[in-house]
Amino acid sequence: MTLALKHVVKKYKDFTAVNDLNFTIGKGEIFGLIGQNGAGKTTTFRMILDLQEQTAGSITWDGSPINKINRDWLGYLPEERGIFPQMKVEDQLIFFGKLRGMNRDKLKKEIDFWIQRFELEEKRNEKAETLSKGNQQKVQLIASFIHKPKFLILDEPFSGLDPVNRDLLKNAILLLKERGVTILFSSHQMDNVEELCDHLCILKRGVSLFSGSLLDLKKQYGKTKLTIRTTVPKEEIEKMAGVKDVKVVRDEYVLTLMDESFAKPIFELISNGQYIEKFSLDYLSLDEIFKDKVGGNNE
Amino acid sequence: MSKLSILVKQLYKEKVRGKSFILMTLLYLAIITVVMYWSDIKALFVNDEALQIALVNETPVELEPIFASNDDITFSYPTESKENLYKQLEDEKLDAVVIVSDENESIKAEIATYTPLKLNDQSTISSLIQYAGSIYGIQQLNLTAEEAEKILNSEPIITTTNINEESGNAKSEDQKQSGLWVSYGVGIVIYFFVMSFLSIITTDVASEKGSRALEMLLVSVKPGTHFQSKILGTMLVALTQFGVIFGFLFVLLRFTDGGSKWEIVQSILSDISYSYVFYVLAFLLLTVVLYLIIGALFGSLVSKVEEASQVMMPAMMITLIGFYVMISGIGNPDTILIKIFSYIPLTSGMVMPMRIGATDISTIEPIISLVLLIVTCIAAYILSLSFYKRSVLTYSTGGIIEKIKTVLKVTT
Repeated sequence: MTLALKHVVKKYKDFTAVNDLNFTIGKGEIFGLIGQNGAGKTTTFRMILDLQEQTAGSITWDGSPINKINRDWLGYLPEERGIFPQMKVEDQLIFFGKLRGMNRDKLKKEIDFWIQRFELEEKRNEKAETLSKGNQQKVQLIASFIHKPKFLILDEPFSGLDPVNRDLLKNAILLLKERGVTILFSSHQMDNVEELCDHLCILKRGVSLFSGSLLDLKKQYGKTKLTIRTTVPKEEIEKMAGVKDVKVVRDEYVLTLMDESFAKPIFELISNGQYIEKFSLDYLSLDEIFKDKVGGNNE
Repeated sequence: MSKLSILVKQLYKEKVRGKSFILMTLLYLAIITVVMYWSDIKALFVNDEALQIALVNETPVELEPIFASNDDITFSYPTESKENLYKQLEDEKLDAVVIVSDENESIKAEIATYTPLKLNDQSTISSLIQYAGSIYGIQQLNLTAEEAEKILNSEPIITTTNINEESGNAKSEDQKQSGLWVSYGVGIVIYFFVMSFLSIITTDVASEKGSRALEMLLVSVKPGTHFQSKILGTMLVALTQFGVIFGFLFVLLRFTDGGSKWEIVQSILSDISYSYVFYVLAFLLLTVVLYLIIGALFGSLVSKVEEASQVMMPAMMITLIGFYVMISGIGNPDTILIKIFSYIPLTSGMVMPMRIGATDISTIEPIISLVLLIVTCIAAYILSLSFYKRSVLTYSTGGIIEKIKTVLKVTT
């Protein structure tokens, strides 16, 4: 166990931003903290970073209070983009690296590596304010881990990135994981969370709705998403036992089942003399689970 | 290298290399040069011809020695008729006609112009007429030439002795005059430095906060260290500008005009005591530090750089008030207003040096004012640091009071 939050509460006078939050993150693990805007993600990050003090509970790193550890072990990418607009890209990275105790030689190697990896060679000597939004974000991202932190917090790292740069970032995160960096990140793009995270926590108005492994979360719902491409009319499918909902997505039916056990009888029913081009039973996507947990049904 | 020194170095390098710092320093140097060589510069561009003034003397006194011509005014003594002279006024051959006559054993002078005279020229002519009036009055008393000269040239010998030992030695008029000039200069320096560096530090903190760069910094640097770095770095930038300006001024005074201007400065400085220099430096540095602390705090309150000028306004108003109080002291540095403002820490830096230099105040008064300023600096530092830690990551809208309320609401 590396990072542990136990019964963490953050109150502002009459408003409770985070209430009884518990989760742990193991070494070299990627952990997702997801929730709607105002769910308490940034407040949680700030408490972990010791930028705000929790009202109650404890936050520890390897058993020691987080505010006692060497701050140079931490890396942080804030939700809103923040770099020095007047500073050149390389100077910016040198400044942040030196501030976190890196010496110039080591820093130079790291900068060369990441600048090349993020395809920023040509922008190296340009002022940050002249870069595109995506490139500014890449610079800020490099600045957040240029000092080789043990623990990295990324608040909405994918926002504003195009698909190509998103892949660059995903690969960078996986590389950092390989290097043993523990990563906590938030994102509204659930496909990214699903792809990268081992464990996650879903927050709603400061309260944890789920905390654990992604597979456990999916198992809670079971394999209830059934995709069929068939000639059977929609009306007939809707009448079948165990079908909660049917949606037509292009030429396919996407069924939500009450239970995984209804899949087999449905297959037998529609395969009786009908042509089935596709029959696929899956777990719900994280996006669907998130909407179900955080959306109107759970008000 | 410590985190504090990395932050200070970065701020210093960024500001000193910045266009605004370079341009502002060059502007100060240009202003100093223009002020010092104003008469030479004026002579290059303005061709001032001497005023042509006709003097009609209807008294028995000889006025020629009194109304002597110089570079600015040429007096003539025509015998033509008034109408003829007035015609010359209309034709702009003359600038003024002064008719001096007797009325009840006093001089009566009538100054006729077609285009009104400038204030300076009018004052010069008036003072010459007054002098002529005195001569005329003396002559009416039938005194001998020696007696008349004695009256006109007699100057009282004034010595001041203060029998109150507690109030210290009274200053001579020369010392007070020198003190007045130096403190006037100090007041102006404090005013301009406070105005520009208050703006620099407030905008700098606001810009880092607004761009969210501060959030990244505060992960590895404690807010207190960041706060200190802003004050130290900006103070170093201020001292650099101070050094450049005063170095340039020294070179100008010392090595131009054969050092004649430097001699004037030396004569002023010779009337100034070491304790006065100590007080001036102490008030100057502490006042700038106090405003930098306030500026950093104000910068941490805003959510974006555009709001910086809004929060700076109260501090700027106080500086402006202090400056005007100091200016009012040039006429009379002993007023109750000057005394009150010389104890208020935000204005004492501009006002107290004037009282120390140009009035006979007791030794304890500047000490009290300086102690008050030091205590205020320490208190402001402690309070601002505590508030800075809470406000630096709090974003809110509204005026300065609203922002303070929000910070208190979300952090207590």
